[in-house]
Amino acid sequence: MHKYFDEVVNENKMQEINKKYVLPGDVIIEGNYRPLMNVIKKNNSIIATRIGIVEMGRDGIKVIPLSGVYIPRVNDIVIGKVVDNSSLSWEVDINSCFSAHLPAQDVFGRDFSPARDDIRKQLAPGDVITARIMAFDRTRDPLLTLQDKDLGKIPKGEIVKINPTRIPRLIGKRGSMIQTIEQATNTRIMIGQNGILVVVGDDNETVSLAIKAINTIEEEAHTSNLTQRIRVLLNVPEPSPEDDENTENLQTENSLKQDVKEENDDGENNLEEDEK
Amino acid sequence: MTEQVIHLIDKDGKRTDGRNIDELRDIKITVGMIKNADGSAFIEFGKNKIIVAVYGPREVHPKHMAQPDRCVLRCRYHMSPFSTDTRKNPAPSRREVEISKVIREALEPAIILEDYPRAAIDIFVEVLQADGGSRCAGITAASVALADAGINMRDMVSACAAGKVADRIVLDVNDIEDKEGCADMPVAYLPNLEQVTLLQLDGILTKEEFNECLDTAIKGCKMVYEIQKQALIQKYFGNEITSDVKETAQ
Repeated sequence: MHKYFDEVVNENKMQEINKKYVLPGDVIIEGNYRPLMNVIKKNNSIIATRIGIVEMGRDGIKVIPLSGVYIPRVNDIVIGKVVDNSSLSWEVDINSCFSAHLPAQDVFGRDFSPARDDIRKQLAPGDVITARIMAFDRTRDPLLTLQDKDLGKIPKGEIVKINPTRIPRLIGKRGSMIQTIEQATNTRIMIGQNGILVVVGDDNETVSLAIKAINTIEEEAHTSNLTQRIRVLLNVPEPSPEDDENTENLQTENSLKQDVKEENDDGENNLEEDEK
Repeated sequence: MTEQVIHLIDKDGKRTDGRNIDELRDIKITVGMIKNADGSAFIEFGKNKIIVAVYGPREVHPKHMAQPDRCVLRCRYHMSPFSTDTRKNPAPSRREVEISKVIREALEPAIILEDYPRAAIDIFVEVLQADGGSRCAGITAASVALADAGINMRDMVSACAAGKVADRIVLDVNDIEDKEGCADMPVAYLPNLEQVTLLQLDGILTKEEFNECLDTAIKGCKMVYEIQKQALIQKYFGNEITSDVKETAQ
């Protein structure tokens, strides 16, 4: 009986604190809670370190930031540009203060020999790649890998850069926003967690319409009814149950995107695990 | 020729600009006005007009400056040639080099530098119009710009000066009071952690006056903090808060 009462109190507290807007230095809650992301614990109180929205779960408290540059996290899918290579690895610009490295063994296999294999035949400076962050602990530069489905060189497309904190909004709940754009403009959009997107379409008009929608989302990410306004911008009718079925078909057709999205969700979870 | 006697505080207790002794000048902060920067703020602190831009965390150049365990914080305070009534030489003066250093040291305790090893954060404080207390206004705006840049911070930093003018302790000393008054004490303060990160004193105060002056300055910092909060809330949550209000009204 007593325990049940306690739980009710906690539920109420959670409701009260979830979705609360915070600024750096704001005390979110006092008590024995676990800090997860963008919060610090000081003298038994949890303090926010970024501008953002509080999310409180059973495992702890975190702040979803609303601004900031990209800091790599393990298992993030990123899109980057090869800027240089040595005889053993490539250096990749991933839109962060740390430049990433892709070891040659990852592409050529364990028996890679700089004398025998020409590293530039696979990737040359200027190439754009989708990669997964294999390891990163802030003490050394992030390591990339292409050893996953749908990772590797991107042959064509238009590169768009947005603020990395807007990526979850761009994807939307279970990918709803990005699917709306893709269906309406008949394009394919690859998303890197580092805020780099590649839009692939058949003609310039559809691509520029998709980019316009993406930029609108970036600018108005924090406003409500955004999905509706994007639908108006793209001339898409309100979704009906039949449309939902179509959406699912598209999802299975386009496995890369779904992968990216799943990774997004995983990325959040992984970070939590990392900080444990 | 007779020398003009300046009354810094008149018989009604009003100061040269019509303020009470415990009143701040008008403060207005605009967040995110420089699109090229990662974070920025524009502050109007009385007649002071200051732009602050924050870049980073970004790669350190030259590379040898990078620290393996924490971020490098670099700060440049600069007064533009047209910021004062006589032209100011744009080359960094002795005073500007010093203020750059104290601003950096006032902000350093608030920023969690260990979160960004081998990177750098650059803060540019550009004074467009100066009117006394520009270092405090600069720190206040820089703290807002850092929050706008999404840099992990333990707390905001608010700054405000207090001083002794015509034998009274007054809040927020302006240009004339700074030049003609007895003492000027800029203070930077972490409002939630209740820590002082900058304390300078130009002039002579007794022990009691010092204590009163510090208390007054801290009170001022807390008022400045509320304005900083309003500016950030307006930028980040402004629309949603208004829409929430609308929804509840409906």
